[in-house]
Formats: sequence, C-alpha cells, structure tokens
Amino acid sequence: MFSEQAARTAQGLLAPPSAEASTFARVPVSTYTNCSQHFRLGERSFNRQYAHIYATRLIQMRPLLLERARQKWGSGIAVKKLCELQTAEKCCIVGTLFKSMQLQPSILREISEEHNLLPQPPRTKYIHQSDELILEDELQRIKLEGAVDIQKLVTGTILAVYGSEREDGKFVVEDHCFADLPRQLPRRGPGTDRFVLLVSGLGLGGGSGESFLGMQLLVDVVTGQLGAEGEQSCAAQISRVILAGNLLSQNTQNKDTINKAKYLTKKTQAASVEAVKMLDEILLQLSASVPVDVMPGEFDPTNYTLPQQPLHHCMFPLAGAYSTLQLVTNPYQADIDGVRFLGTSGQNVNDIFKYSSMEDYLEILEWTLRVGHLSPTAPDTLGCYPFYKSDPFIFTDCPHVYFCGNAPRFQSKELTGADGQQVLLVTIPDFSATQTACLINLRNLTCQPISFSGFSAEEDESEMEISH
Amino acid sequence: MEDELYLENIDEFVTDQNRIVTYKWLSFTLGVHVNQAKQMLYDYVERKRKENSGAQLHVTYLVAGNLIQNGHICHKVAVVREDKLEAMKSKLATIASVHVYSIQKAMLKDSGPLYNTDYDIVKTNLQNCSKFSGIQCAAAVPRTSAEVSQVQTSAQADSQTPNDTHAVNVPTINGHVSSTAKQPSPQPKGIMGMFATKSASKPQDTNKETKPESRETTIATTVSSKVPPKGNAMSNFFGKAAMNKLKVSSECEQPKEEKTVAKPLVSVMEPKSPPSAAVEKPGKKMEPVKIQQKDKRRAKRMDMSDNEEKEDENLKKKRRRIKRPQSDSSEDEDVSVSPTPQEANPPLPSPEPALKIELEPATIEALTGGKKRKRKRVLKSKTFVDDEGCMVTEKVYESESCTDSEEEFIKSKLPAAHSQSTATVKKEPKEDRKAPKKGAATASKANKQVSIMGFFQKK
Repeated sequence: MFSEQAARTAQGLLAPPSAEASTFARVPVSTYTNCSQHFRLGERSFNRQYAHIYATRLIQMRPLLLERARQKWGSGIAVKKLCELQTAEKCCIVGTLFKSMQLQPSILREISEEHNLLPQPPRTKYIHQSDELILEDELQRIKLEGAVDIQKLVTGTILAVYGSEREDGKFVVEDHCFADLPRQLPRRGPGTDRFVLLVSGLGLGGGSGESFLGMQLLVDVVTGQLGAEGEQSCAAQISRVILAGNLLSQNTQNKDTINKAKYLTKKTQAASVEAVKMLDEILLQLSASVPVDVMPGEFDPTNYTLPQQPLHHCMFPLAGAYSTLQLVTNPYQADIDGVRFLGTSGQNVNDIFKYSSMEDYLEILEWTLRVGHLSPTAPDTLGCYPFYKSDPFIFTDCPHVYFCGNAPRFQSKELTGADGQQVLLVTIPDFSATQTACLINLRNLTCQPISFSGFSAEEDESEMEISH
Repeated sequence: MEDELYLENIDEFVTDQNRIVTYKWLSFTLGVHVNQAKQMLYDYVERKRKENSGAQLHVTYLVAGNLIQNGHICHKVAVVREDKLEAMKSKLATIASVHVYSIQKAMLKDSGPLYNTDYDIVKTNLQNCSKFSGIQCAAAVPRTSAEVSQVQTSAQADSQTPNDTHAVNVPTINGHVSSTAKQPSPQPKGIMGMFATKSASKPQDTNKETKPESRETTIATTVSSKVPPKGNAMSNFFGKAAMNKLKVSSECEQPKEEKTVAKPLVSVMEPKSPPSAAVEKPGKKMEPVKIQQKDKRRAKRMDMSDNEEKEDENLKKKRRRIKRPQSDSSEDEDVSVSPTPQEANPPLPSPEPALKIELEPATIEALTGGKKRKRKRVLKSKTFVDDEGCMVTEKVYESESCTDSEEEFIKSKLPAAHSQSTATVKKEPKEDRKAPKKGAATASKANKQVSIMGFFQKK
C-alpha cells in the first residue's frame, strides 16, 4: 500500500539539498459524521436496577431472532414462551442466556466473613467444567442442555433455541441460532486511496521509555516529517487517526492514595497528571496535521461503566485549540468518507475472553457481531450504565469496519454476511507492547499493520523484527 | 540559499557542541523544511567523509518499507545505526524510504537520546510543530479563544439536552433532580465560559472580570437593592484591579460572599454597618440559593485566583484588610474559615483605601463601632501604614466579645465603604453617624461585637 508508491523516490533524500522542498496537502475529509449520539449519556441516574436493560434487550432483539429462527428452521415452527412449554413438544424459545459459573467473582463471597474465604485471585479465564447455561425470558427460566457449547457462550446473549423440554424440567437443545449480522448500508467509499490510522494502547505514563521513540516515529510518519517524499505523499493520504483507548498506562491507576495515610500522600501528584500532559503534547502534534478521534479506554480518566464518555477537553488545553481534535465515546461509531466505522477500546472483547472458551480476539469480535450485541456480558461482569429505555449496544446496522483496541496482537479478517454484508474486522494491538498500528485503506477496505522500532544496545537484530 | 553556511552550522553542532543533530532538530534550528534538513545532513556526511575519511562521525538512518511477516505484509519504519543499515535494507521486501536520521560524534548504544533530542526541540516549538513538515493540513487551524468558549458552552448545552432523551426518568425520579440540573446549567455555562476565557490568555481577563462582576451584582441584588448599583459604580470606579480582587474574594463562604458583595460596593462608600446588617438579613433567606451560586463562584474564583493570587497577593492583603471591618456585621460563620474569607475579600484597590481615608478622616473618630445589634462575630482590625503610605486596616479574627470603640473607629472607617446607594450619601452618613454614634456608643457597650454595621441596619 504505502510502499509501492513510495519506492520510486525512496533514496531521494540521500542527496545534497534541493532548492525546493515539496509539501503535500493533507487529503481533506470529504464526509464525516459522528454517529455515536446514542452512546452519550446526559444526566445520569443510578436509581434503577439492571433488570430493565435485560428486559429491553430481549424486547428489542426478539423480533430479529424470531425472523432468523423462521429462516433457519422453517416458518412453521412453534414459537413458545417458557410458561407455555409442554414436555416433549418441539418448539422454539427465545430468551436471554445466563451462565452460572462457579468461578465467577462474586462480591458476596468475598465479603462473606463466616466462610473465612480469601478473596479470589484474578484469573485469566473463569470458565469451569461445571458451568451451566440457563435460558431466561420475561417470566421463567430453564436449564439448557444438548447441542449448545456451554463453554463458548456467555451471559447476556440473546438467542433462539430449538428443541423440547424433558420430563426433568431441562430443555434439550437440538439447534440454536443468533441474531446474525444486521443489514448493511451500502458503502460509498472514496475513489482514490485514503487511509485511516487506528492506534490503541499508547500507554503513556507507563514508565518504560522504549515505546516513546516508536510513538514519536508514528507521529512523525503521520505528520509527514519522517520518510522520503514518496512516503510523505502517502502519509498525506491518511485522512484520520483514531486512538482507540488506553492512552494512559495501567501504572497511572495508582490506588495507593486510598490506602496510604493522608500525610504521606498530601503533596504527591497523581501519576496520570504527567501522563495527560504528555498526551496533550502528542495530540497537539497530531491535531496540527490530521483530524484525530480520541476514544477513552479502561485506564483513561473517564467513567468506568460502558459507554465511556469522552475525555474532558479541559485536560487538553494545547490540543483543544484545534478543531481537528475530537473527543469521542467508547464505543465509537462514525461515518468516515462513506465508510461506517464501529469499534471499542477492547473492554467488551476482553471481558468475553475471560468468561468464554474462545481464545482468539478476532474470533470473539466476530462472535459479537454474529450475536448482534456489542457487549453481551454487560452489565453482568462488565460495568454498564443502567439503561432502561433501550439498549444502545445492539447492532442496528452492520458496520463496514469493526475494530477493537488493546488486543494482544494485530489481526484482521474480511467477513461476509449471509445477506451480502462485507465487514472488515480488525483487532488493534497494544502499541506500548507491540509498536504496531493499523492502516485501513478506505478504497478497498484492506488493512495493513505498520510497525516502528528503534535500536537498542542488544546487537541482536532479530528482536526488532518480532514486532508485529 | 547559503550553501556552505549550513555545512558550517552542522559542523559546529556536531563537533564543537557535541550535539546529537537529528533532522528534526536541524529543521527547527535552521528553519528549513524537514526534507531539506535530511538532505543537508546527508550532504554534510558525504563531504566530511570525503575530506577526512577518519572522521569521528556516527550516523543513524531511517529505513521504511514492506516486510513480510506472519504471512502478511507489514509496513515497517525503523531507525537503524549505520552499520545495520544494509542488513535492514535486505530484510525489507520493498524499500519505501531511506534517509539520514541523525548525526552525532559518539556511537549511540540505543535510540533513547534520539528521542530526547526530538522531544526537546518539539517541546520548545509546540505551537508550530508542523511548520516545516512535509504535510500541511488545511483543516487544522487553531481556534480563537472566543470560538473555544463557544464550543465549550455548546458542549455544556449538548450534555444537558441528552438528559431528556436518555435519562428520561430524571423528571420522574425527583423533582429536585431536574431543578438542580437547571440551576447548574446556566451557572456552569458561565463558569465554563470563565475557564475558557481564562485559559485563553490574560487579555481575556476583561471578559472574565465583567462576568464575575455581573454575577456579583446579581447576587448583590438579592441581598439588597442598594447593593447592585453600587457594585456597578464600584466596578467602574475601580477598574481591573478591583475586579481581580472581587473575583478572588468569592472564595469565601456564603456570609463572606455577602460580605464580598457588600464590601466592594461598600468600599466606595463610607463604612456603614446598617447596610451590611441589612445585607445579612436578606442574606440569610437567600442562603440556600446563594450557597450554590457562591460555590460556583467560589469554584470559578478559586481557579482564577490561583493564577492571579501570586501577582496580586500583596495588594489583595491590603485590600482585604480594608474590607475586613464589614465582615463583623455579616452573619456568623465558622471562625475557623474566616481567615480564608478574609483573603478572599473583594479587592479594594489602593485608590480605595486612600480614597476612603481621605474622604473620611473625620469620620474616623466619628464612627463608633457601635451598632451591631446582631453581630456575633469578632473581627478586630489592626491599622497600620503600609508601603504605599496608605493607612490600611487588617482584619484579624479574635475571640473578643467586647465592643472596642477604638477598633470600631478604624473598622468603621473602612466599612464605611459599605453598601450605600450613592457616593453623595457618603457625606450625609458621616453626619448621621456622628449623631447616632453617640447614642450608639452606649448601645455598643451592650453589644458584643465591634462593627459599624449596626448603624446601617435600619436603612
């Protein structure tokens, strides 16, 4: 992508200075619409229980599931509510899944003093052989058995199962289906090459200096300082940069101040203050040259529950002066040059990873698209605002590019839906660990990783190559 | 272009100053396009090596290109030392660019110093970091501060409107939820507007000042009708410096707020206790309302005062003292907090004390502290001559409960600038005070607190 065009003038700068240095104009943004309004929260009230969000999720998704069920198993199938079930009668039921997990961290167990239990250590995966699946609808619940992959599914998924109830009260599943991909609006991409750069996990304030040079190289490539003329002209075609979360490192989340005595922590500044200043400078360099969308992530100074609200502009006094800087929500949805982008900073995928047997972030990403919900585990194991009118995480239409940030490595895949939808799935790697970002070409929806490296004291060259 | 000059410059930087000369550093230092800087570096290296092959010169290069990795093509951008350049080039399937990254005298072990050099030079040129870049973006124009504040206030509005769509239950939950929502919204807009203009630059001070001033006057109006006109008159009278102090002073608690409101106004006029007393009474009723406003103002003031505090500190102190006497008459509040409100007293500009002092030299003795009917606060004023030759009275909280006529004189002199409707009234109250003062003298003994405000209560 980048390189072929640039190769012709690759060595052009290994020459005495020329009188004129060419400057390239950044491609203008032809169309941009931020479609994340339903992720913005206004006045927040936490007086409601979470039952409402499950109820509205079921109500909204039931028609979609019934349609899929009829498509799959024939329109003549009997669709029943749980209360109408008769034993040994084949029918289809739609409901919310609940997976009762023995290892799921429970606050009640933690504080239960009579059991004298130590708090459960954090694990990477909380699945266990003895987990059970239960399907719930508005009134009742029933245990599921049979042709369902208990380990793979997670709580909060809405699905339709086809089978029959047994005498002992369990439902034997013969087949199941999800909402699958929603319909997709036609893509009106640009005619010429245009790129969007996706980066996540800058991890500022992390204390490790190795990633700084990589970050500086990234900024320099995007702003056109680095590279020969060919590369600069290619970089001028980057029309947008999206920073997908975790701009600050986990190390800035120092909770010591809560435990330490006040007299010890009085004059100390939070670690995030320095990190935010650094971030402001980096954003200034970027926004002076390219439109930037900044999404908050797990370790960023914004609210914890999904949907995370945009970072406050008062933290960026320098960069905030530029209108090219946009502070957006997590999850984020936007129409960029006719291509619909949708993505998160990775908390949803990370949470499903913990409670499901799926190992691959790309697989989980695809799975969320197939079940029709961005983050089914919210609010069970992932913090979520108690919505009650509607669940904004349900996919209403299919994006063209669906990404998640802070994945362990870069992966991408082109997915084709049953109705002809074309989706590019991208898992953006953590930049502080991998020094890799993603370039998406809007013209043909392809994705290329771009990685940066410096050199270090080790003579071992191969170390640099491992970054992917 | 000075062909040879840049060579000399680079030579000087590298050999004499022993710097790490990166292309970016050179570009900013010499004010040339980055590509030209890269070419200059290359040229220098070539020439230096030609003339002196044993030159102590280490070069790092930037290599970029395609790399086949894990089955997919990865675009790689790497900074490499000269000795590893060919190895890197051979690894790449396609080479997109190669150019000199930096020149330095010593061999670099790792790329940390390169980053530091670049970071430093960018930091000193933050505002025009893209000036010499290869890409110029037409859309990236810094907003003017007016636009910034506009955007921020509209952002406030946006965050309020989604209230209705999302948190529909807000009106259903509690009535007061929506009301508090309403109340903060105009306030934050003002406050955020403050922040916006404040962060912009000092020249914006006037905007800020008018805003707090207007806010103060609105609050003052709740207090007493007399107060607002005075406020305006006073603001005009005192100008910017006064406004700064006014703003700063709002850090105090509610009573202080009243005081501060009252004070700037009063400062123009002779100290009168009654007005402040009057101020207090309605103030009590308004307290809940004011508290919110005050808090907001306080928050705003805190922020502004942070910046202004240092520069105005001395002046402030002097002014505060002048204001201090009036606080006696205001409602009681935590004595512990009093010192800060003292600090936050509305700024009395130096003309003011001078004014008052000149205006009312006679009133000094005329004014007896006297008529505090309801004051319980114990504020004592200490008078002294400050550097400027003005007599300044500083209020100090003491737990004293007797009416000290001496102090009251002094205090009342300054509080004389208290809420009077017009400047002309200054003269009259003097006489008024003299008369009732005598009566008040006896009455004052009965009162615990020393304040002139008792005089003005009736009014």
